[in-house]
Amino acid sequence: MKILIADDSRVMRQIVIRTLRQAGYDDHDIVEAEDGRDAYEKVQAEKPDLVLSDWNMPNMTGIECLEALRSAGSTVPFGFVTSEGSEEMRGKAADAGALFLIAKPFTSETFTEHLDGVIA
Amino acid sequence: MTAFDTAERRRATDARPVITELIDEATIQSIAEQAWISLVGEEEVLVPLPAELPADVLSSWVDVVGPWTGSVVLTTGRRTAEELSRALLRDSAPPVLDEEDVVDAFGEIANVVGGSIKATLPGHSALSLPSVGASPEVRNASDVCRIDLLWRGEPVAISVQGALPALPSSPDPHHPADPDRSTYENEVPL
Repeated sequence: MKILIADDSRVMRQIVIRTLRQAGYDDHDIVEAEDGRDAYEKVQAEKPDLVLSDWNMPNMTGIECLEALRSAGSTVPFGFVTSEGSEEMRGKAADAGALFLIAKPFTSETFTEHLDGVIA
Repeated sequence: MTAFDTAERRRATDARPVITELIDEATIQSIAEQAWISLVGEEEVLVPLPAELPADVLSSWVDVVGPWTGSVVLTTGRRTAEELSRALLRDSAPPVLDEEDVVDAFGEIANVVGGSIKATLPGHSALSLPSVGASPEVRNASDVCRIDLLWRGEPVAISVQGALPALPSSPDPHHPADPDRSTYENEVPL
């Protein structure tokens, strides 16, 4: 399975990758994107099976990326990993077609909770 | 006239809450602990004890803009900020950290703490991308909620501070208490 991780923080991308491993999802191809625009382009080019995206990023936010992908006909499973954990943001994410929203700070248990069934 | 004055006064105080009406030290401490466990390490402990910050400090912060507008600012010694960054990077930390690594890692801690604090505030607020550098100034001493912690024996301060000056105390717009009032009525300095 190929997982695209979008976050403008390189450190956070590494923490997300580390947490995926700790949650037992350690046998997958990882593609990294540094903002929403990069993620949008890499979804087209790399055809990932899942996108884990930050919300607040320069150039294009995560929600803008998701909306652009859906407008372009992409149905790639998409979840947020973000410090924006309010109910309002969860509602916006769900309305745009996100499968889940993992709020930072997270643990490997939070990942398991949301990704079980999403990651094969 | 009395009724009008009372309404004016109510609007002046209700329009903009100060942070101490919205969050307390215990909540900030709990949010910081969760962030440390998730980002820095499961065994990492924050001790709520004040200690003097060293001369060479670095701050990271995010701005919150909404019913309450201000910044969530982490301040610690520059060396402690580097140690925190190293802890976040773990095995991928280079022998000598780049400035960029510290900006990224230390900024991300402010992002996570600030995002959690934003989620506790009422109404809709927007969160900025993190910044790292010299701390934004405290604009209104009564609009600050600050905790002082020790991480691995080194002081770390978390200040949730308003970005707007204090409202004038006079409710009468014809006789404002603050002669500079007109300069910030139409501006939102941040």
